[in-house]
Amino acid sequence: MFTTGSKLLFGASGASLVGTLLYGVLIGGIMGTVGLVSLTAGLIFLAGINAFIRDANVAADDVARFSGSAAATPRPASSVWPIGVAVGGVLIALGVVIHAALTIIGLVVVLAASAEWLLQGWAEGASSDASHNREVRGRLAYTAEMPVAAAIGLGLIVFMFSRVMLGVPTKSSTIVAFSIVATIVLFGGAVISRARSLSASKMFGLFSIVSVVLLAGGAVAGLNGEREIEEHHTTAHYAELDKCGEEEISADEHASQTVAGKANSSAEVTLDENGLSYVRPGLETPQTGMIQLPRSNANNILFRNETAEPRRFIAELAEVEGSPARLCTALIEEGGVQLLTINYAAPSFDPAVEESGGYAFVVAGLDDRIEVVVP
Amino acid sequence: MSHLKVHDRTMSTSNDSTSIVKGMSSRFRKLATAGVGLSAAALLAGCATDAPQDTWKPAGANAQKIQDLQWPVFLTAGVVGVIVMAFIALTVLKYRDKGQPIPEQAHGKAWLEYLFIAIPAVILAAIAIPTVGVVMALNATDDTECVINVTGQQWWWEYDYEVGADGTICGYAPSAVEASPIITSGQVVIPANTKVLLRGTSRDVIHSYWIPRLNGKRDMVPGRVHFLRLESDTPGIYAGQCTEFCGLSHANMRMETVVLEPADFQKWLDNELEPYQAPAEGSLAAEGESTFIAQCSRCHQVNGLVDPNNGNIVVSYPDQFVYSGAAPNLTNLMGRNTFAGATWDLLTPECRADVWEASPEEFGDKYLAGVSQDCLNEIDLREWLRNAPAKKPMYADPAMLEQTDGKVRGMPYLGLSEDQIDQLIAYLLERK
Repeated sequence: MFTTGSKLLFGASGASLVGTLLYGVLIGGIMGTVGLVSLTAGLIFLAGINAFIRDANVAADDVARFSGSAAATPRPASSVWPIGVAVGGVLIALGVVIHAALTIIGLVVVLAASAEWLLQGWAEGASSDASHNREVRGRLAYTAEMPVAAAIGLGLIVFMFSRVMLGVPTKSSTIVAFSIVATIVLFGGAVISRARSLSASKMFGLFSIVSVVLLAGGAVAGLNGEREIEEHHTTAHYAELDKCGEEEISADEHASQTVAGKANSSAEVTLDENGLSYVRPGLETPQTGMIQLPRSNANNILFRNETAEPRRFIAELAEVEGSPARLCTALIEEGGVQLLTINYAAPSFDPAVEESGGYAFVVAGLDDRIEVVVP
Repeated sequence: MSHLKVHDRTMSTSNDSTSIVKGMSSRFRKLATAGVGLSAAALLAGCATDAPQDTWKPAGANAQKIQDLQWPVFLTAGVVGVIVMAFIALTVLKYRDKGQPIPEQAHGKAWLEYLFIAIPAVILAAIAIPTVGVVMALNATDDTECVINVTGQQWWWEYDYEVGADGTICGYAPSAVEASPIITSGQVVIPANTKVLLRGTSRDVIHSYWIPRLNGKRDMVPGRVHFLRLESDTPGIYAGQCTEFCGLSHANMRMETVVLEPADFQKWLDNELEPYQAPAEGSLAAEGESTFIAQCSRCHQVNGLVDPNNGNIVVSYPDQFVYSGAAPNLTNLMGRNTFAGATWDLLTPECRADVWEASPEEFGDKYLAGVSQDCLNEIDLREWLRNAPAKKPMYADPAMLEQTDGKVRGMPYLGLSEDQIDQLIAYLLERK
């Protein structure tokens, strides 16, 4: 009376019913009870269906019915897209809780997986020839899949490579980027170009290895975190901190000590054994003591150190609105030149300027100074 | 047979060409008449006497160098031009299409090609040698006797005179007070027979400085320092204008160079450095001083001005309100003859003519007299104070200053009442 499959399902239904009753009486809990009741109802439903169709069995000696039965029809290939849709759904749900970006990614995954799933389903019904169906699907899908896959692949390569670069010290980064990797790429390219024929599988294998190495390197570097990147401040930053002294600061490292635009400076200030002096364009005689510079305009001042000691040139500015308290150059070696561009926002006779000591050019560690008059 | 055919073609062509030639000669006559008329007008324009920016009337050593160069260059160019045009005209007329067979084409006359290369090369070399010499002479700075800073901004020029290490300005020591920087605008005053070097730059856009009777043009570029030599042995006023398009009122950006005899320059210097004289208490000018402090001193500096209400020195901060960061210093406004970028005269036409047309001997006294009540061009000054942007195109509409963070380019409309304008004029009349 009962087929084999029906017996199994009815047995499972009975066990589930017993389990439900035991859980409901002994443990309780609405969610668990509802779940087990649902399971039991589902099993009873399946058992009934199976009994009705009698396990869909066909007699083995009935060749015609056997070959034409649904069980004899080749099954379509397994599809990954339902999993994709499920993953996308989970991402959407997680995104609601964690971050909106996850929701967007989940939505994109759901849409893409759904489209692929629909396309695959449509293609599998195109004919009874599976290979033809795959070709039909490919014609339509590859035009979108290939560029997207390429973009994602390139993006991954760039991202992982950047993680590697950020994870190693600066000099090593240069060596990795411009020596080792470049050599490998060049060597690989030469090998491929010299090969008379290279099968698709070998190419795929080669690129797979490279990809795995890159992904692994990127992942490791990403987990290790970026190297400590030192922040380089300008002399203006140190001037704000009142650190325009004789001591060396980070802005002094690798500071340029040559200036090209000498023809367009407002003044060239020189420090030598006689002290500070300056030359204004148009009058070549060195002057000392006082210099007059225009207001509300960029004054390019060149400072040249002709002493043996490294020196820092400072433009003392008044603490008035729209102006920093001072500006300074980096430490200048003997014979070096640097430029300061100074814009005086207020005249020298402004009481605020006078109260703060007036404008002046000085050198850290020396008493010599040039008063700056801004009319 | 073929001969007859050729003859027929020649006959018919001859009839056609006769009518064509008649038509051409008619058109040629009209064109020639128009050309002669235009040329005559251009020639007559050269006869203008009231031409203060005449490049052919040098009034100083630098302009004379240009003059000495441009005469032979123009002469040479003119002769070459006449020869070339005559040759073209001869060729066009003599060899015009009259139906004749195409003449034999000449090729390979090497001596002719060498000649056509050699002649222009020699001419250009002959011009280049003195040109380079003049260019270098006009760029020399090693003989400078006086440096004056000039700064261009939309649309006026500022001049500041530096105090030298010896305590003098251009070699002149003030008679009564210690030397201090002088800032003025519109007119730059220089001593006669002195090699003056303008050290120029700009605060906003590129301008170009040009006093045609004293030297050539020189661009004034933000962030750069350029030089222009000025020198004259003849006292007088020499006009010029900005020659690099610099915005809405480029045409209204003018300048004047005033040349004074050394003794007169000393007087001018002493006058510029005189301490500030406050208006008499209770006078209209005193009311004008208060109005000036309230309405004008945010941008315009008057050296030595003290607020009578609190005893504080009044300092202007044009960089907070004006895009270029500067406004004309009005300390001695009536000591100069112009205002608003030298666009308008502070003198009435009669008084202006009296100064401009004065002989070199009389010029100094007349210029140094400044602007008196009787000679004040009150019409233009009043219009300017009433609504400056209406008189001179400027970017001063508060609703259109997004690009400059609300800062004006030029002078804005201040909404002054007529009483306030009266007060200001009375106050400004004493600024000399």
